[in-house]
Amino acid sequence: MTKGLQMSEVTKYYAEGSNRIAALDHVSISVEPGEFVAVVGPSGSGKSTFLSIAGALLKASEGDVKLNGYNISTLTAKELSNIRLREIGFIMQSSNLVPYLNVIDQLLIVKRMSGKAKREDKEFAIKLLEELGLGSKLKSLPEELSGGEKQRTAIARALINNPNIILADEPTASLDTKRAHEVVSLIAHEVKSRQKAAIMVTHDERMLEYCDKVYRMEDGKLSLAESSRSGVAHV
Amino acid sequence: MFLAMKELLHSKMRFLMIVIIFVLIAWLVFILSGLGNGLSTLAASTFKTMKADYVVFEEGSQSSMSKSLLSDQLMTEVELLPNVSAAAPMGTTMATALKEQSTKNEDKVDIAIIGINPGSFLEPAIVEGESLSSGNPTGVVVNSTMKDEGYNIGDTFQLDGTTESLTIIGYVENQTYNHVASVFTPMAEWRKITFAAPGSDKGVAGPVNAIMLQGKDIDPDLINSKLSNTDTVTRAAAVQGMPGYKEENGTILMMLAFLLAISAFVLGVFFYVITMQKTNQFGIMKAIGASNRFLGKAIVSQVFVLSLTSIVVGILLTYGTAAIMPKGMPFKLETSLVVTYSVILLIIAMLSSIVSVRKITKIDPLKALGRVE
Repeated sequence: MTKGLQMSEVTKYYAEGSNRIAALDHVSISVEPGEFVAVVGPSGSGKSTFLSIAGALLKASEGDVKLNGYNISTLTAKELSNIRLREIGFIMQSSNLVPYLNVIDQLLIVKRMSGKAKREDKEFAIKLLEELGLGSKLKSLPEELSGGEKQRTAIARALINNPNIILADEPTASLDTKRAHEVVSLIAHEVKSRQKAAIMVTHDERMLEYCDKVYRMEDGKLSLAESSRSGVAHV
Repeated sequence: MFLAMKELLHSKMRFLMIVIIFVLIAWLVFILSGLGNGLSTLAASTFKTMKADYVVFEEGSQSSMSKSLLSDQLMTEVELLPNVSAAAPMGTTMATALKEQSTKNEDKVDIAIIGINPGSFLEPAIVEGESLSSGNPTGVVVNSTMKDEGYNIGDTFQLDGTTESLTIIGYVENQTYNHVASVFTPMAEWRKITFAAPGSDKGVAGPVNAIMLQGKDIDPDLINSKLSNTDTVTRAAAVQGMPGYKEENGTILMMLAFLLAISAFVLGVFFYVITMQKTNQFGIMKAIGASNRFLGKAIVSQVFVLSLTSIVVGILLTYGTAAIMPKGMPFKLETSLVVTYSVILLIIAMLSSIVSVRKITKIDPLKALGRVE
């Protein structure tokens, strides 16, 4: 069984009037565990469609998507929801926390979606949150958190089920530079130390230094830009 | 449940408003049902509490006492029929009691004279005084509400428009007929009052209005075929046959039915609006893997908690209202009635939340992310 995320020749069409528009045009990508990949590109280039398909939220018109060995193109809606729960950790643009749950419950609710929140789950949640520097905020509600803290809570939420894939959708969109670096370096750290396959869709070129590979999306076509890690990516 | 409770406690004000509306609805439902029950008790409690199972009426009397006239000689025949364990005659007449030829308003009381055989199973339990006896035909047993009108044991009262006068020898409780107090008299005295005019008994020997039967599994058709000119019905059917009874109950039931139907819509809309407001939130939870089942359960358990709370508060308010209601008000709450309407309200609330649950299943997690291209 291959771990990580493999997409081969994935195409997504949207109907627009009588025309078909290919939002994704024969996209292939493979992300291994422990690999942190960035996808950049102008808006409208198909980045979000790409992430939605990778995140089992949208079905591809053609091509195969393999998440941790499961071919998700053949699964039912119910199975997809289960895949999202167990195999994928989502970090969204704005943290999108549940407004009436405190930080620790934000994590435990994910556990409850698949049954009960056990004691070891709570311990793991606390450990995660402490790792992310939220040890003193366990009982705070989202409205009492700063933007960076919210986003870090969202990172912890994405990790609580120990998924193999992490998908981050513009995680720095609402953060200032300092916080943005903080958040992305935390994601990079978790990806490395926990051996996750991670994709981050971003506009923010400052963040590419944390990524192993940078892909560029343009008009639905995905191409590998220069390998980064060396500093500022040349895209 | 976890999600539901957390949200309830977080947005207390919003849910408080729904609870207030639900409490008012529940309160109204319980009060109306109590009034309905009180009215029907007032109309027919003597009939309803009788230890009779079936009633033999004259054929064509539409199960109504006032339209039926039989001879008590049928008694001996009917007692021999299968499954009939006992039979007793009964007669009813509406009258007005008049205290010592008084012309004052408060001294005239409407009563229902119920003629029975002393010692028969139709005689209700005495709570004070003596029971009826054939040796004392003008000694009567009356409903205890007459005590409040100033009629005490030993008092003699005149029947307005007749020459008969009756003496109270005992009280019974919860005995009303046609909305007025029941006055139980021995059969002989009842006949004297009812058939005072010559020929009004149509020549029937030993006239009575109906014969009440005791016995399980009596076959009404068999009795009708064995006894000519009779119509046998269950006691419940006889209660329905009382003049005005069906109409009165129908009015109350109609109001209740409309109230329940309206409350189903009102509550459904409220739950729906609240769910709509949370579309985005639910979409995000679906995106991170929450199943429809998980979210549906959250909604339903929330509605359950809200409904239960509201119904309990409604019940408390209703009992509180009952305690301060004027005594003469025909209001009667019964536990079984309260339980029935509580369950109905609960079911209605749960059903009305189904619309919201359906809405959840239709939420597209992709839209909640707000990133559709």
